[in-house]
Parts: sequence; C-alpha cells; structure tokens
Amino acid sequence: MKRSTTAGAAVAAALAITLLATGCSSGSGDSGGGSASKPVTITFWGAYGNGGNSTQQDALNKTLIPAFEKANPGITVKYTDIAYDSLLQKLTTSAAGGQLPDLVRADLGWVPQFAQNGVLVPLSDSMPDYKSLASKDYNGSVATNLYQGKYYGLPLDTNTRVLITDEAALAKAGMTKAPATFDDLQAMADKLKGSGVSLFADSKLEAWQISPWIWSGGGVLTNAKETKATGYLNSAKNVKTIQMLVDWYNEGLIPNLITGNAGATGTSDGLPKSDYATIFDGPWMAGIWAGQYPSFTPIYSQIPAGPGGSVSVVGGEDIVLTASSKHQEAAEKFIRFTQGSAFQLAMVKTGQMTVRPALADQQAAIDPYFKAFSDQLKTAKSRIASPNQSKIDTVLNTTLTQAFLGTTTVKAALDSAASQVDALLAGN
Amino acid sequence: MALTTALGRAAGKPTARPGRAASLRRRRISTTPYLFLLPGIAVFVVAIIWPAISAFQMSLYKWNVFNSALSRWSGIDNYVRAFQDPHFWLSLSNSGIYMVATVIPQIVLGLGIALLLKRKSPSQPVFRVLFYLPVVTSWVVVSLLFKYLFDDSGLINFTLHDFLHLEASNTSWLAGRWSALVVICLLGIWKGIGWSMMIYLAALQGVPESLEEAAEMDGANRWQRFRVVTLPAINPATVFVSVMLVIGGLNVFTSVQLITDGGPIGQTDVVLTYMYTQAFKYSDFGYASSIAVILAVLVFILAVVQLRVMRRDDTEELS
Amino acid sequence: MTSSALRLPGAPRKAPLAASSVFRYAVLIVGAFVMITPFLYMVSTSFQTQTFVLSTPPQFIPMPATTKNYQVALGTQNFALYFANSLIVAVISTAGSVLLSSMMAFAFARFRFPGREFLFRLLLAGLTIPAVMLLIPQFILAKNLQMLDSLGGLIFFYIAGSLALNTFLLRGFLASIPMELDQAMQVDGANAWTRYWRLALPLARPAIAIAIIFTFLNSWDEYPIALTMISGTDHATLPLAIANFQGQYATQWGVVFAASLIAVVPVIVVFLVFQRYFVQGLTAGAVKG
Repeated sequence: MKRSTTAGAAVAAALAITLLATGCSSGSGDSGGGSASKPVTITFWGAYGNGGNSTQQDALNKTLIPAFEKANPGITVKYTDIAYDSLLQKLTTSAAGGQLPDLVRADLGWVPQFAQNGVLVPLSDSMPDYKSLASKDYNGSVATNLYQGKYYGLPLDTNTRVLITDEAALAKAGMTKAPATFDDLQAMADKLKGSGVSLFADSKLEAWQISPWIWSGGGVLTNAKETKATGYLNSAKNVKTIQMLVDWYNEGLIPNLITGNAGATGTSDGLPKSDYATIFDGPWMAGIWAGQYPSFTPIYSQIPAGPGGSVSVVGGEDIVLTASSKHQEAAEKFIRFTQGSAFQLAMVKTGQMTVRPALADQQAAIDPYFKAFSDQLKTAKSRIASPNQSKIDTVLNTTLTQAFLGTTTVKAALDSAASQVDALLAGN
Repeated sequence: MALTTALGRAAGKPTARPGRAASLRRRRISTTPYLFLLPGIAVFVVAIIWPAISAFQMSLYKWNVFNSALSRWSGIDNYVRAFQDPHFWLSLSNSGIYMVATVIPQIVLGLGIALLLKRKSPSQPVFRVLFYLPVVTSWVVVSLLFKYLFDDSGLINFTLHDFLHLEASNTSWLAGRWSALVVICLLGIWKGIGWSMMIYLAALQGVPESLEEAAEMDGANRWQRFRVVTLPAINPATVFVSVMLVIGGLNVFTSVQLITDGGPIGQTDVVLTYMYTQAFKYSDFGYASSIAVILAVLVFILAVVQLRVMRRDDTEELS
Repeated sequence: MTSSALRLPGAPRKAPLAASSVFRYAVLIVGAFVMITPFLYMVSTSFQTQTFVLSTPPQFIPMPATTKNYQVALGTQNFALYFANSLIVAVISTAGSVLLSSMMAFAFARFRFPGREFLFRLLLAGLTIPAVMLLIPQFILAKNLQMLDSLGGLIFFYIAGSLALNTFLLRGFLASIPMELDQAMQVDGANAWTRYWRLALPLARPAIAIAIIFTFLNSWDEYPIALTMISGTDHATLPLAIANFQGQYATQWGVVFAASLIAVVPVIVVFLVFQRYFVQGLTAGAVKG
C-alpha cells in the first residue's frame, strides 16, 4: 500500500523536477553598465524576416551587424526576428512585463503611442547630434518620429505609394501614358466605363489609402498643430475629392474591395490580370510580382496631381530606443550606424529604400525602378502623429465606407469623421 | 465503461450502496481526495486563476499596459461602457449566432458519423483519420483555405455559378455580414465534426451490445433502440461535447480574425476579435478585460445551466 | 457482437444489411470527401510554385509540381530544433496534464468531500476565461518565476491550460465505472492510489486516449503563449517558425502549407497510435466475461 503512494509521489516529484530543471535553463537579460568598456549585448527586434524571404535578414546578420561589431569592439548586437503580424502584440506584452529589447524597428504608427506611454527615449534630447542626423533624412520620414515637440526615433527605412498602371488596361482605355492628373483619370474613367476594367482599386479607406487623394486634391486632414479636424477634414475641397471617388465607385469603376469585401480580388492580383487599371502601392510589389507574375511589366509614375499637386503618404519603419534599455549609449551607436551610407545602401540592395535623399541617385543606380518612389518621397507627407492613430483609421474607414455605400452623403460622412477625430485628437 | 451501471440503470435497479463498514472507513480517510487534487489544483490556481484575477483587476482601471503604475481606478466604468457600446452588442450577437449555428450540427453530425463508424472493419481507421483531419489542421491554414474557397472567384462560386448554374452571378460571400457569417459558421462546423465524432466513438463503445440485442428482441425498432438504450448511455459524452462546444463557440476568434478580421467595417466582429482590437490595437486593456470578463461570466453561466439541465445526476453512484 | 443467436428462423438478414451497408458507405464517402477536400487542396498547393498559389480559377493538380516549398521549409535554419522543441514540450505537457487531470478526475468521481462542487466550478470557470486575456498576467508570472524563454515555462502553462478540459472529460468517464469494482479492491486492502492506478486508469483508457490526443494537438499547435514567452530561436517552437513565413507584404503560402503539412505528421501519428483505444468494442469481452 505505502509502496504505491510512494511511487505516486515519486512520479509527481519527477515531474516537478523536470519542470523546474527545464524552466530555469535560461534566464534573459544581462545586467550591465552602459559603457563600452565592459562587453555589452544590445537586443534588436524587427520583422526583417519578411516571410522567409531572407535577403534582408541575411544582410543584417551576415554583413551589417558584423561590420558594426568590428568597428565597435565590446558591443554585440542580437537581432530577433518576429512575424510582422505578431510584432505589435509581442511588444505590448513585453512592455507590460518590463522585458522590452533595447532597439525596435517600429512601424510608424506605433511611435506616438509608445512615446505617449513613456516606452521610448526622446532621441532629440538624448543624442546631441540628433539634429544633424535628422536633417539628412526625408522631412516626412523624420516627422513620423515626432510626438509633442520631441522626436522619439530616427527613420530606418522608408517607402511611399505611387501610381502603378497596367499596360493592357491602359491600352484598353486608348491611352498611351499613365494618367498624371485628376483630369486624366476622369478621361480614363469615361473610356473604361462599362468595359469591365476598373479604373482604380484599393483595399480600405484608412489614412494610408485616402491621404494621397486628400492631399493631392488640395485638402488636409487637420490643422497644422494636429489638434482639430473639423473645418479641415470636412472642407469643401475634401468633399469634392471624395465625391469624385464615390462617383467612380457608383459607376462600377472602383471595385467593392475598397468597402471591405474580403473576397474581392486583391490589388496585387487584380492589376497584373488587368482587372484593375491603376492602383497605389509601394516598392515591395516588384519582388512579389517577379515571383508570381514574371511577365508583368507595371508602369510606375507619380500619384495623379490634383489641385494640391502630387502628394503621397510616407511609410516605412523607424528605429526607436526603449526607455528600459540598460545600454543606451551602445544602442545609440547602433542607431548612428543605421543612418550611415553603408547600412542604408546595403539595405537598398535588399529592397528597403533609403531614408536619405542624398543617396537617392546611388539608390537609382542600384535599381532604377526606385526613382519613381524617391521622387514621390520629396513631397510625401506623414500621417497624423497621434497615439490614437489606430482609432482615427477606424473612424475614417467606417464613415467613408458608408459614404461609398450610399448610406450617407459624402459631406455628412466627413462631418461625422471630423467630429470623431476631434475627440480622438483631444485625447492626446 | 458504462457497463453494469448502464445495465443497472436501464433495468431500473438502484446501484449497490456500500456497506456500513466501508462508509465508516471512508469518512476516516478524508484527506485522500485532497491529495489527489493538490498537484493539479496548485498548478491550475497559479497559472490560470491568479492571472484571471489579475485580468479582472485590470478591468477596474483605466489600465496603462506600458506602465501599470500609471493606471487610474475607474471602478465599473469599463463595464458600463461595454453595456452602452453598440459595437459590443453586435459582436456578442455574432458570437451567439456562431455558437448556435455551429454547436447543433456538430453534435448531430458528429454523433451520426460516430454511429456509422463504431463497428469494427478494416476501413474504419481510414475513415476515422479522414474525419479527424480537419481537427488537426491549424486554424490559420483552414481559415485561409475557406477564405480562398469563398472568394468572389473561388471554388464555391465556380461550382455554384459556372458549373451547376445554381446562382445567377457570383456571390460576394465576404462582402456582407450574414453571408460572411455563413462562411465562418461552415468553417466551424467542418472543423469540429471530427472532434465530437471522437468523443462519441469512445462513448458508444461503452454501450453494451447485449443491451441493444435485448431491446431488439423486445421488438424495439432502430430509432427506439437508439433513443432508449444508446442516448442515455452516452449522456455523459453529450453533456461534455455540448458544454465544450458552447464554450468554444462563444470564444471563436482565429477564424474570424483571418477570414474577415471583423469586416466589412466591423460587421462580423465577434467578442474576442473586438476584445483583441481593444487590447492590442488601441492598448486599452482595461476595457478589453471588462469585455473578456463579461464573456467569461456569460459562458460560465451557460455551462452551469447546461450541466444542471443535461447531466443525469450521477452523484448517487458516489458515496 | 454476433447476433446470429437472435436471427429469426427463415428471415433473411443479408439483403437489407447490404442495402444499409451501401447507404452507410455512401454517406461516409461523401462525408469524408467534404472533410478532406480543403486538406487535399492544401497538399496540392504545397507542391505548387508561387505563381500558381491560390490562383483563380483554382488549380487542383499542380502543374508544374515542385518540391521547392518543402525544401525551403525543411531547409529553414533550425527547423529540426523547432521540431524537437515542439516535440519535447508536447510530450511532457501531455503526460503531465493527463496525469494531473486524471488524479483530479478520480477525486471528483470517487469521493464526496467539502468543497467538491466549488473546486469543480473553479475548474469550469478556468475553461470559460478567454486565454488571450491571460497573456499579460501569465507573462509577468513567468518572468517572476524565471520561466521566460524556456521550454519548462511553456510546459507549465500548457499543462495548466489543459487541466480543466481533461479533468472534465475524464471525470465523466470515470464516474460511470461501477463502484462495485472499487469496493472489491478496497476489500482486498487496496488504498486510493492503487485503485486509481490499477483500476480507474486502465478502465478509462478510451477517455485517456482522447485526452492524450487532444492535449498533444493543442500543445503542438499552440501559438499565443509561445509568442509571448519565447524570444529568440533557442527555445522556439514550430508554430512560431511557421508564422515567420508570413511576411509583412506577402506570404509564401506554398511554404506555409508545406511546413504545416510537415507539422501535422506527429499529430496524426499520435492519433493513429491512440485511436485504437476507443474503438473496436474493447468492453465486449468485459461484458460477456
């Protein structure tokens, strides 16, 4: 009798020991001084893994980090790759648990939110050479790091949306050059009506999608200080621009992908198949199309100009330093390294555009196709620097979708959006 | 398993009760059950209950997930907000619709397939694996597959429109709330049938053939035999399957996130996708926790009610 | 299992049996077809080149077929390590969970004691809490217990997460084992642990088999907790690796499917091994004998 009880206890004990043994196998985090005299390891999280397309991660791990470590003996950089869709979740849980890395390759939209919550170090304060570093980058890209007068990061890589046109659809509209102005688009629309080819396609109505239209149409989303949207978002110019899109939608020239139909053909398939004549998209498409539609030759050109010119939206990633980092000096050295031409040009070769206009020519020499994007970046603007950027996107998408579906007028939708955005901007 | 107890129950005899000496003995060894429970309860309380209490605590604050010291007490504000939030009610109704639409087919079809597969024959293992395959395939993969199948130009439309000419034009399944819910529910049913089938297979093999044969001799037809002998014997399995499926149904998450991400414009949001958005997109953990707590309470009440109603009280067997 | 003793003299059984058999098989075949079609498509896609992945109209037979996706998946740095990590975690979690929950189920099914209903309801409550909400408190707990970024930490939380379901499942099955058998052992002088180990567990084999299959599957596929607790590649599990095939702008679905198919093999093996425990009239002998 006792034997079986002992046996049972032994099993349970063995289990517990196994748990503890494997559990205490590796702790994380090294304590350590901030100076470079003692060997220091800085951790860097990002999504360079790019879905298994390892060129970016290889460039980082095999070329760039070793180069940095050679030039900075005593500093080791440990890069951890995290699936892009899970990165924000992991950053949030890690922040809550006080286990953030030193450096993060952060999506632009995350910076204001993290900054507001004290997660990041204001580099404009802590780095004495911040101003000179930032001056070398595209204005729009630097602006994405701004929150309440301070800058919380530096641009790491950038991109923007340009107009991409399908040759076959262009021919169907009887045109030889990609549309360069709103009027060109209207002319193209008239010719494509009823042909089964959509004039333009996009997947949503958030800031990323709608800002190029609004800015090129001569309007703005908020006042300069980004404290008020009423009077700006619902201006007459914006009503006119959105109405133009809604009219095209009603004529069947914009597919219902834009109003949230997850089953509609995506832009990356619709353009090569000539279902769609034009889309807005970024430099990553070239690699994707090369794999899936090798014979497709898209035409890259500037966003069609409206009364406001041809203005697009800035995308990309910033490199940020977490406030919990114990190796700020070493981390800042790495940040400086990422701003140098060695890093920037090495990443250009893997498809990541440089944040420095001065390197645009060298970039174009590496691959001429980048020129359309770097030209567009000269005038591209950044989205609203609000910690509530996500909620603002939801507001825009919901109200504008209803305008497209016809349940409200464009003016009413923009009015509603503006008042909701006001509330969100006030909660800064 | 259900052996002589089932026999006893079916024949209307009460199960034997232990003699006096045995019950006296049992009353003396009162720590035994606790010893059996201790390791499991300990792990459970530390790893599940304690975090649940923390999560509940979050719901009473305007919680700052990045710096918890900055959280501000807000009492039941988050709960009031949830009850006044039309989008929360929409998401709750979507979860409820999904649950009702998927639980019943899974139980009925799972049991049906199990009945067909309970006998011994060489082809059985093959069929069992085939029906179990959807269960083991990851949600990420099957959600994508279903999204692809129901695409505007996907296989389903191709079959219904171009092949069978059952519909006039391609349906945009994912463009509207109800049609998208159909897709999501079909996925849930398809993926879950194998699961309930397995539970029922295990339960069915405990139903003694002799009982069925006895009933057959008494002249009962197939349906009567099923109703009188089989169903009661597999009642514990039905209870288990039903409770688990209700819990799982109201907690639907991954498939919705991957097929529609709650779209279009949030029309197919379920409680957990709405909660996830609040937590990880808007970093509003206080509100997200309150939504989770409301769902948990609702699910718990439903589970307790189900157990009360459906469970044949088998405590009289224990003494 | 034979019903020959009951056959009424002169009444032919063969013909109706054949018809119902045909019906049975027809339903099963149609059902199985519906069940596996998406799976077949997954297999087909895993052999397709990127150009044809998820193309419309859908292509069932991959032409040209390629094994490149499998090469990429298997050739991923550390794939064997991720596989091994997942295996260790799943096996130990399953063993631990089944052990602990069968002990708890035995207690619930066999004893009456103060707090029984309360503890049972507590377990039930654990089932109803959305796991996503527990991530941050669990992360902080793991940090305090020094369980971050370790397989042991994963095992701990996976066991905890499956206890309620397994206990619930096993309790129902254990409760229907007749008390007479227990009492017989008690009369022979067996204590509770012996009754548990020698009587309850063997008789509850079907339920235990199911618990093993389910717990293994859930541990093998688990993603949110692994994502939260594991950083870096040393202790990463397969689901993390597969998620990394999904890129920011595009996903190599062919590779994802190939990797998922490789990952599904152990789960199917576990199923095949343990499924024989809850089929083929194991109790037939027990009833007659």
